[in-house]
Amino acid sequence: MILYIFTILLLLTIAPLLIGMIKSLKMFFLYKKPVSIFQPYASFNKLLIKELVISHESSIITRIAPLLVLSPLLVVLLFLPPVVHGAYYIGFVDAFTIIGLISLSTFFLMLLGLDSGNAFGGMGSSREAFIASLVEPAMILTIFSVGLMAKDLGVGNASINLAIHFPVEHASSFLFAGISFFILLLAENGRLPIDNPETHLELTMIHEAMILDISGLYLFIIEMAGSIKFVIFASLFVTLFMPYGVNLIAPLAILVFVAKLILVSIIVALIEVNGAKLRLFKVPNLLGISIVFAFLSLITFYVLGA
Amino acid sequence: MLIFDNLSLIFIGLILLGVIPNLFYMFGYLPHIHRKIHFLIHYFVFIISMFGVVVADNIILFLFFWELMSLTSWQLILTDEKQKGVSQIARFYFFMTHFGFIFILLLFLILSNGDLEHSTFSILKENATHFKYPFLLFVFVILGFLSKAGVVPLHVWLPYAHPKAPSPVSALMSGIMLKVALYAMVRFLFDVLYPWSLEWGIIILMLGAISSLVGVLYALSEHDIKALLANHSIENIGIILIGFGMGMIFDTLGLKTFSSFAFIASLFHIFNHMSFKSLLFMGAGSILHQTHTKNMERYGGLIKSMPITAWTFLIASISISALPPSNGFLSEWMIFQSLLNSSSVTMLELKLAIPFAIFALALTGGLAIACFVKAYGITFLGLHRNQNAKHATEVNIFMQIGMILMALVVISLMLFTPWFIGYFDQAISDFNHTPVYDIIFSHGIWQMHSVGSHGGVVSPLILLGLLIFITGTIYGVQKLFKPKIRLHHSWACGYQTTHTTQYSATGFAGPIRRFFSWLYGHNEKLKTVKISDANATYDESFFEVHVQPLFEDTLYKKLVYFTNLMSYYIYRFSHFEQQQHYSGVIFALLLFVLFSYRIFMGEFSWLSLIFELIMMMAVSKILIFGDKK
Repeated sequence: MILYIFTILLLLTIAPLLIGMIKSLKMFFLYKKPVSIFQPYASFNKLLIKELVISHESSIITRIAPLLVLSPLLVVLLFLPPVVHGAYYIGFVDAFTIIGLISLSTFFLMLLGLDSGNAFGGMGSSREAFIASLVEPAMILTIFSVGLMAKDLGVGNASINLAIHFPVEHASSFLFAGISFFILLLAENGRLPIDNPETHLELTMIHEAMILDISGLYLFIIEMAGSIKFVIFASLFVTLFMPYGVNLIAPLAILVFVAKLILVSIIVALIEVNGAKLRLFKVPNLLGISIVFAFLSLITFYVLGA
Repeated sequence: MLIFDNLSLIFIGLILLGVIPNLFYMFGYLPHIHRKIHFLIHYFVFIISMFGVVVADNIILFLFFWELMSLTSWQLILTDEKQKGVSQIARFYFFMTHFGFIFILLLFLILSNGDLEHSTFSILKENATHFKYPFLLFVFVILGFLSKAGVVPLHVWLPYAHPKAPSPVSALMSGIMLKVALYAMVRFLFDVLYPWSLEWGIIILMLGAISSLVGVLYALSEHDIKALLANHSIENIGIILIGFGMGMIFDTLGLKTFSSFAFIASLFHIFNHMSFKSLLFMGAGSILHQTHTKNMERYGGLIKSMPITAWTFLIASISISALPPSNGFLSEWMIFQSLLNSSSVTMLELKLAIPFAIFALALTGGLAIACFVKAYGITFLGLHRNQNAKHATEVNIFMQIGMILMALVVISLMLFTPWFIGYFDQAISDFNHTPVYDIIFSHGIWQMHSVGSHGGVVSPLILLGLLIFITGTIYGVQKLFKPKIRLHHSWACGYQTTHTTQYSATGFAGPIRRFFSWLYGHNEKLKTVKISDANATYDESFFEVHVQPLFEDTLYKKLVYFTNLMSYYIYRFSHFEQQQHYSGVIFALLLFVLFSYRIFMGEFSWLSLIFELIMMMAVSKILIFGDKK
């Protein structure tokens, strides 16, 4: 139980760190002088003490939506797979619930974008709705495939099963599912080929456009939700697709887990440095690749036999 | 005469749950209706007829109530007879329901050997077991009952007919009448045509998958709020049929617990769809009542002036988008789980095909979220786009009570899920399906288990509790910070925010419309008034998108065209005057006798048949019909 609470607290604290690390790594690769990897903590601190400006045009949704953007993600955090073998975890919650909770968070984020009555918010919501609706099928097919390979749909149990017995005979479907899931990780978190988290050029942004009129404490909540979402996806990716090191003793296992999270962040940073943002109407192609890989993963699994 | 088994009883429950809030709502809505007596008579007879259909055991009684249901709903569409185009749409509805009715009548006549008066469902079952071509009966069931339920491609009447009726009636039609049609299908498949073959389940599954996708895609492109909701009914009927089709497939493959689970899922979704769709139609009706327009582009900011409507609409939107922990999520979760149970099927072809249904359902879910963000955001959030929305106030107390009661139904379906599932379990175990309640709630009512060997688990109440607790905690912590709040105009990168700078419903659906343009086949019109000598700046501009209804254009209009063509030739054939036509007929007849003689002598081959057919067609075209006049 202590390990369980510790893991959640750890994830909460390192969530901004990972975002900061991606940022400074990107700057390093681009031969800029990198910012500190602790920069997000400083920005969050600044947002917390700043005054909260609420738009006249907005309604009560602006006041409640930030809470409902964050809280489903915090609930998901409780259901994540264990990091150390033998630690307490809530194993029964299946991946559909997790996807649903993430969608709930996105739903309120999109409403938030439409609430302040400015054109950019609507633009962001519209694009987010477009991408989110295409992410959904790939996501469900991928987790279905992983669930079949791990012989359990509950993410906690699935990761434990995979750590005990990795299905080497299904390595190909595993790889396909991994590729699909990584594309979804990029898409859901608004990383570079889909959305540029750094740009504030109005016509290209998606996530930033929705929260254009949010400030102060609410912006802190939304930014925190963004980083937690990244940590959720990253830890799902590492526990399901790199299920190694769980059986080590507790401190070492946690270190390995953090190292894997950092590895994912480095990969994301490398992809961001080496790629350009896709045009909005090219995004479905990327998501289509993800859907095709999910299908391939299922089909190879079925054809090779369970 | 009447039948009160568990299946009928749960549908009576469904109608009661839908009707009681609707009565309050209708009472509040009544001042808005011109022909009150006409409306009231048909409204109550409509409700009674729906009760009649679900309890009738005698066939003639069933047909009577079914027809009564069609006729009263047809009259209810005509309530506001001065509305533009309403008589045309009512005629279309009348035609479509009777198109279905013909097949129902045929089905009953075949199965009862012409003795409609004394037949009950048990007699029909006996006759059905002796009937040689059960597939024909299945096709009749689909054409008859599912045309009423609005399944693609028999759905074309639905997006026109439902929005034209007064809102309480739309809620009844969409929420309950479609379910009564599904009841008839379920009753027939369970009770009369029981030993199914595998193809039937696959057909139902495919119809469901197509309906759900087509429904949600057309809903997204709508900006008439009631037509949007009507298109969503098609989607949800599709989802119900996906569950039901999976159940039929599992049943024919002998996986009895899976089939029971899938049937329970689809029955649960029937209830859920009734609750949230009625609520959404009531909300749409309230907005229509206050703003006098159905066009979403004229709404905006209504959450400030109509809070009760806005909050109940939000509950329904979350539920219909299948977001946890709502009831819509639970039933969709069950349907997903039954699709995932397909991994236990041994037939590889089927196993490989079912992921496509999962894909369709998942895409539907994603698009439904987009659609309801649009419906909610454009209607209730932002600034009012028009004078209509500016002067809207909250509706009267009876309509509010109706909406609140319906919202309570939605919430209770979420809170008392185990209780409802217990009833559904009893209803299907009456038809010799394995009861699965004990498997679903094997660890108490806090967790719902899938029946599959490695199935998932969901715990709605724990989720709800956690969400409320965590949201409350964040709220409390946020209060502790005591942030200084300043009200100011929207920043919007420094641009001025007025009601015209907001995104419109058309614009919101823009990316999706563009991506699915092969389906929509939309044509866009941009009218601009140019300021003299300026190429880039416009004085005013007007953008319009029209989505082509694909099925109507291809299937129905082509059918009409083909029928016209045929009738033209038949006319020409029977009204020939010139002499050479007369000899042409004789020549064609001679050829016909010659060719058919060959066939009767047993010298049949496909090649010669095709050749002879072409010959016949050429001869009749050249000699008999001649040139077109």
